[in-house]
Amino acid sequence: MPSDKRVELKGGMYTFMSLKIGVADVDIVDESLADKVQQAPGFFADTPIVVDLTPLDEDPDTRDALDGSALMACIRKHKLVPMVAATGDKSSPLAKAVEVPLIEGGAARRPTAEDVPKTSAADAANNTRPTNEPVSSSEVEYIIRPPMLIDRPVRSGQQIYARDTDLIIIGQVGPGAEVIADNNIHVYGPLRGRALCGVSGNRSTRIFCQSLEAELVSVAGNYRMLETIPEELRGKPAKIALDNERLNIEPL
Amino acid sequence: MTKTIVVTSGKGGVGKTTTSASIATGLARRGFKTVVIDFDVGLRNLDLIMGCERRVVYDLVNLVNQESSLHQTLIKDKRLDNLYILPASQTRDKDALTIEGIARVMHKLKKAEFDYIICDSPAGIEKGAKMALYFADEAVVTTNPEVSSVRDSDRILGILQSESKRSKMNEDPVKEHLLITRYNPSRVKDGQMLSVDDIVDLLAIPLLGIIPESPSVLESSNAGKPVILDEESAAGQAYSDAIDRLLGEAKPHRFMEVQKKGILSRLFG
Repeated sequence: MPSDKRVELKGGMYTFMSLKIGVADVDIVDESLADKVQQAPGFFADTPIVVDLTPLDEDPDTRDALDGSALMACIRKHKLVPMVAATGDKSSPLAKAVEVPLIEGGAARRPTAEDVPKTSAADAANNTRPTNEPVSSSEVEYIIRPPMLIDRPVRSGQQIYARDTDLIIIGQVGPGAEVIADNNIHVYGPLRGRALCGVSGNRSTRIFCQSLEAELVSVAGNYRMLETIPEELRGKPAKIALDNERLNIEPL
Repeated sequence: MTKTIVVTSGKGGVGKTTTSASIATGLARRGFKTVVIDFDVGLRNLDLIMGCERRVVYDLVNLVNQESSLHQTLIKDKRLDNLYILPASQTRDKDALTIEGIARVMHKLKKAEFDYIICDSPAGIEKGAKMALYFADEAVVTTNPEVSSVRDSDRILGILQSESKRSKMNEDPVKEHLLITRYNPSRVKDGQMLSVDDIVDLLAIPLLGIIPESPSVLESSNAGKPVILDEESAAGQAYSDAIDRLLGEAKPHRFMEVQKKGILSRLFG
């Protein structure tokens, strides 16, 4: 009996937005969420999120003071849909109160004992290094998201989106193709399609390309079409950045 | 090892069927056991160009639906012993094709020890075209020297990268070849057509060949004889060169320059 490919149970990686809770005060969470949602009304509506409670694990007493069900109600009030909560301690009162499935650890899990490479017995014997040296906080909290790298031409009709990171394309972006990133876009080849950087609002992002022939370039929603790009800049290496409200195109 | 080659373009009327017929014939002439499949279900054309339209009994849809055997369905070419044609159905449409069904046909062809399976894709980017390219190891992207054809070829290259079996199974990507058809050097010179360099620059894939615009293409189609068999014609010679390149031979490209007319052709041309 061949297995039915229409119904399959498989592991998979998906990108979700995560909401980090680093404070045990629902009012502060409420205020901060209201502020974020107001910046882009509609954008967050009904967005499934992972509630990351791991920052609270540092201080179990404060953590346990947080009212889990009130926190969830607050998140739902802002039209976000909490799916799972990430916590370091599944047995804490907070974990029990959140009423959503729990997963171990958060997106930026701190290195734990298991993460230290296992050393051989001989190494361990004459090991003089302190193994439990505390890692400085700046080292662990700065998360570097690797850029999205595309090493083939992006063809007409294709759309590539680099969420929360840079997009690097080695090859051309064909006419009718669309490359989008929350961060910078680098095109090592002719840019003939559309390029939109900083789409989630980051105004300091830029587009770099080896030959500017784009149908449209946009930084944080400020766009220019090819017709408004000066003739002398076309077909040349260029960088595109936002200067106040103006989209600046300069030779590279 | 059976190699599956799709002849595709996105745009219609650029010469996919002419190219499929000539490539299949060219490979068979070099001793490879070859089958050419017409995926344009509903608009049967390949059998006309191959000159076997009166011998069609069963077709691809019958084979996909297991209503006929491979032996019954394949039409043996009259000119070449190791060339077979798998015609499309005229009475059905592309919905009659399924990936599972095509997979069964491909498996049967591999078991029958074909060296090459040439898939003649329908125009467009819909189901028929996607079925034709799904099993491809290599793709011959047929392009006319005009902007819309190049744009559509770019689109179909994107689909090859994302929707072929090789891409879905994370295998080595489909090997892409560019074949420029209906090339007219004098019109390129006048700026009415894109040049070879422009097209190669826009599509960024290796050039397999340039087929010059030639009346012999239409004459051969009407006569039901693949143009590659017309060794006198420039188009036939250009297809022959393309076959050599497909088989890994390095050959300089011809037919890119405006031909000077001699006194005789001026008089009788």
